[in-house]
Amino acid sequence: MSPSILTKIRVLGENSKYDICASTASSRSTKYPKLFGDSKKWIGATESAGICHSYTPDGRCMSLFKTLYTNKCIYNCKYCFSHSCKKKMSFTPEEYARTFMKLYTMNTVEGVFISSGVCGSADKTTEDMLEAIRLLRFKYNFQGYVHFKCLPGVSKYLLKEAITLSDRISINMEASTKDYLAEIADQKDFNNDILTRQHWLKQIRIKHNDETLKILRDLQQDEKLDYQEKMIKDRRENGYKKFRWDGAPILNSGQTTQFVVGAAESETDYDLLKRIDWGYREIDLRRAYFSSFIPIEGTPLAGKQAASLAREHRLYQTDWLLRIYHYKLKDIEDVITEEGNLPQGDPKIHLARQYFKDHSLVDPNQASYHELLRVPGIGPISAKRIINLRAKKFIFKRRENLKNVGVGLKRADPFLQINGQNQTTLHDFINNDNLTIEGEIK
Amino acid sequence: MTRSGNKQDPLEVVGCAKGYSHEELIKNLPRHCKSTPGLIEQIKKIPEVVFRNSGTLFAKKVNKMMREVNTEAYRANQFTRTEINNHGVLFGVVLLKHQVIDLVLDYFHKRFPESIICLYNEHTKKTTSMDEKRKILVSKSSLNKVVEKVSENRPIVPFFEDINFTSEQIFETLYKSQFIPERENKDFFKKMIPDKCFELPGMKGGVEKRFRNKDISDFL
Repeated sequence: MSPSILTKIRVLGENSKYDICASTASSRSTKYPKLFGDSKKWIGATESAGICHSYTPDGRCMSLFKTLYTNKCIYNCKYCFSHSCKKKMSFTPEEYARTFMKLYTMNTVEGVFISSGVCGSADKTTEDMLEAIRLLRFKYNFQGYVHFKCLPGVSKYLLKEAITLSDRISINMEASTKDYLAEIADQKDFNNDILTRQHWLKQIRIKHNDETLKILRDLQQDEKLDYQEKMIKDRRENGYKKFRWDGAPILNSGQTTQFVVGAAESETDYDLLKRIDWGYREIDLRRAYFSSFIPIEGTPLAGKQAASLAREHRLYQTDWLLRIYHYKLKDIEDVITEEGNLPQGDPKIHLARQYFKDHSLVDPNQASYHELLRVPGIGPISAKRIINLRAKKFIFKRRENLKNVGVGLKRADPFLQINGQNQTTLHDFINNDNLTIEGEIK
Repeated sequence: MTRSGNKQDPLEVVGCAKGYSHEELIKNLPRHCKSTPGLIEQIKKIPEVVFRNSGTLFAKKVNKMMREVNTEAYRANQFTRTEINNHGVLFGVVLLKHQVIDLVLDYFHKRFPESIICLYNEHTKKTTSMDEKRKILVSKSSLNKVVEKVSENRPIVPFFEDINFTSEQIFETLYKSQFIPERENKDFFKKMIPDKCFELPGMKGGVEKRFRNKDISDFL
């Protein structure tokens, strides 16, 4: 007797619980026309920033229907939950799509996160996963958020289809280099199964978008109408493979990846940061997720110590500096410890302490955007506000002026100089020899 | 920031720092249950920059009222649990003190444009519905009666009849499956779902409350 839907959700949900994802802004393009029209029949919507409908007991947002498609897997990754799970099962495409739609009508999830073990071959499993998404898109008219997890070693033609059907796409790297991956998942080929696929994803998007934009630009308005009609006709056959599933000409599926932090014996924070920096430069990575290694009973790494959650948190903080603040990896190198890890505490404060050893304090009335970003407590938004205000001849005379534009003064104070004045600390008094170390006034 | 020598309204340039614009206040503050026409008139007389910076006690109070309105609408979008029947009528229960029901209905309408949305407000004891053309109707009847009535002339589309489990059972199973004991963090959980959210109809005795989040009063 086949297991019930509830059993499948329980087992396959548990198998996917270490995968991290979030329903983010889907970057749906609104500025380009939808070639197939804006049908009223669609169900679901993507907000500019996804709404979280629930939170797990650890405070993580639970906004997506996150389960594996199947937990049958030909790989034997040493850290993986599926490795120890004795109950093996799969959804059918129809089951998966209908269960999700039922849940969506309850307003408990924002979209789908579909991942899977590799059952038989990567292509066969991906075909089944795509069938489930096709059903969602075309039978149930779901136009909400879909995050598609690509399997290692999947063929290019399937990636092309996955990218047109999804809002986000990802391939897990798991480790930063070939050697580290071999240590925890020796059957996976780092270069061929993962890096090559990531490059393909980038190429598919760029090529598709360039070609489509060129066609749209070249067409006259009248011809464009004919063109749309033709597209609608084509879509009935296989048109959506040429454009996005909903007729939008631009593929926005950003790609992400995930690392298991602390599973490989000597992998350092710096190794991971080097790899994500490469990702941002080379494969248009939107962001990276880090999952602290947790030993699971029944797996070969069951006896290994768990990685600390603080380490995961520091990696996220540093990733933010690389991705949003556009720090260079070279800057981060300055605070990396001898063991190759990040020091304890907020990386931005460490970086600021290092930077302001050789540079004067920042005057918000004179500093450039990049100098302002060096100050803890000033982010891209408040830095932009400060620059804009200065352009309108506004002068920052008091600390409160900065507070009003959103600067976190508690952290920013030690690195700021306003009107020639800076915050003096007890430490400065000691250095200035006003006080002896014992605290006696000279 | 408006002290001598700085005549420029800084937030006119850079957008909202903390507060709201005149336009936003005049448009949305009347939604607040304690808003009066006199309050709106008073707001019109005060420069916008004062509200943008929460510059006075009055401005702080007004901004707080606006935040209450926005938060209530957002929480309703997040935590209202709905059901759909075989006639494509989506319905649920909300607890809205402020007049934001149209915003919540609109949120569901964008998701289910072909459905009729019915929401019963426990605070006003009224059922409000929005049809496919975004036309809003308010009724004093109970939710069940309104759902029955609007379902009458609609075709039957038995999408999920063969799924024997309720949405709540499915959600509960999914929710429990995602639990990682090693990462449990009750403080963070409380920050994300404050206790007052468990008073909302969708969350009262809901899956999140039942699972590892009992306090002593639940046993007494």
